[in-house]
Amino acid sequence: MKKAQPWLTLAGRLILGGVLFAAGFLKYEHLDKSRMAVRAYELLPISIANFLGIALPFLEIAVGILLLLGAAIRISSAIGGALMIVFIFGISQAWARGLSIDCGCFGGGGQVAPGTANYLPEILRDAALAAIAIYLFRYPRSKFALDRARTDEDHING
Amino acid sequence: MANQKPGRDNFTRNLVIVVVVGVVLLMLVPTLLSKKTNSSAKVPASVSSDRGYGIVFNADAKSVPVVDIYEDFQCPVCMQFEKLNGDYIESLITEKKATVVYHTLSFIGPDSVRAANAAACSADQGKFLDFHKTAYANQPAENTGAWTNDALVVLGKAAGISSKAYDTCVTGGQYADWVNNVANAGAKANVNSTPTVFINGKEIDRKTEYFSADKFKAAVARG
Repeated sequence: MKKAQPWLTLAGRLILGGVLFAAGFLKYEHLDKSRMAVRAYELLPISIANFLGIALPFLEIAVGILLLLGAAIRISSAIGGALMIVFIFGISQAWARGLSIDCGCFGGGGQVAPGTANYLPEILRDAALAAIAIYLFRYPRSKFALDRARTDEDHING
Repeated sequence: MANQKPGRDNFTRNLVIVVVVGVVLLMLVPTLLSKKTNSSAKVPASVSSDRGYGIVFNADAKSVPVVDIYEDFQCPVCMQFEKLNGDYIESLITEKKATVVYHTLSFIGPDSVRAANAAACSADQGKFLDFHKTAYANQPAENTGAWTNDALVVLGKAAGISSKAYDTCVTGGQYADWVNNVANAGAKANVNSTPTVFINGKEIDRKTEYFSADKFKAAVARG
């Protein structure tokens, strides 16, 4: 277990970082749609939702790159995990209130035809990613990371 | 902790963090600024900033309903809506039975931006409705890049526009800032899908009134 942990952390970093980077990048190409996606949750005042629709893809890209490179793993995974929990909350409340929206997780977003929204898989996916984020936060020591590059040497040196 | 080169290791890591966060912030700020409404943008004929920068027909008609239509020229559902209700809406305009405001949103992609710009150019030639109809009749699949400016010049010809001013307006992206203003106004109006229709400021029923010609007419008549 002790030997596997840095490898597990590496895998978790690549999954969470890759998903965040891809999600941010796909939204970055369609920022008007991204603003629409945030508004459609009907949670925030419109002006804040519009700002968040633009800012969120940038945040996801930054955290995604840091996780992929293994720099600032604890802070990045904390932000990534917090995002997932916010997303789960947003999707759940949309479901509970009977809104018909596309989660806009990977681009897309906005209202969809009533009855075609599919919330459960989105919540389960985000919950799995949140679990990965928690693992990374608890065990940040990783193979092939810029963080604490000396821990491997410490290990070798005894 | 017998570190051999702690300084170098941390330097690389910190440099990477600073660069990543810095570059992302450097991109975010101009993006936020470019999305701001530009109140000195060039706007086409018959546009009013009070009406969300939409293209207005029968602006001064008295005691008739106001129909605001938010659409994206690339949106397939808008094409269906146009097929079903387009002629009726045109008759509302020609018979002066409603004030109709077209909001040409552009969230689907760059093709939408170019098409909205071309629509504004067609409005200057008094041919917006012809352009509108022709564009939907020739709608390509989303984001194929088929609607280049050159293609939109040809589309204008098909819609009966024969003016050089239209061509230069399209190829020069003359109303690009206006297209952005329309998008912002739509965002402020909380329009989260297309088509979206407001009658006298109230959205019609998404479940029933968009895709039944009779129910749509009834909704307009109800006012």
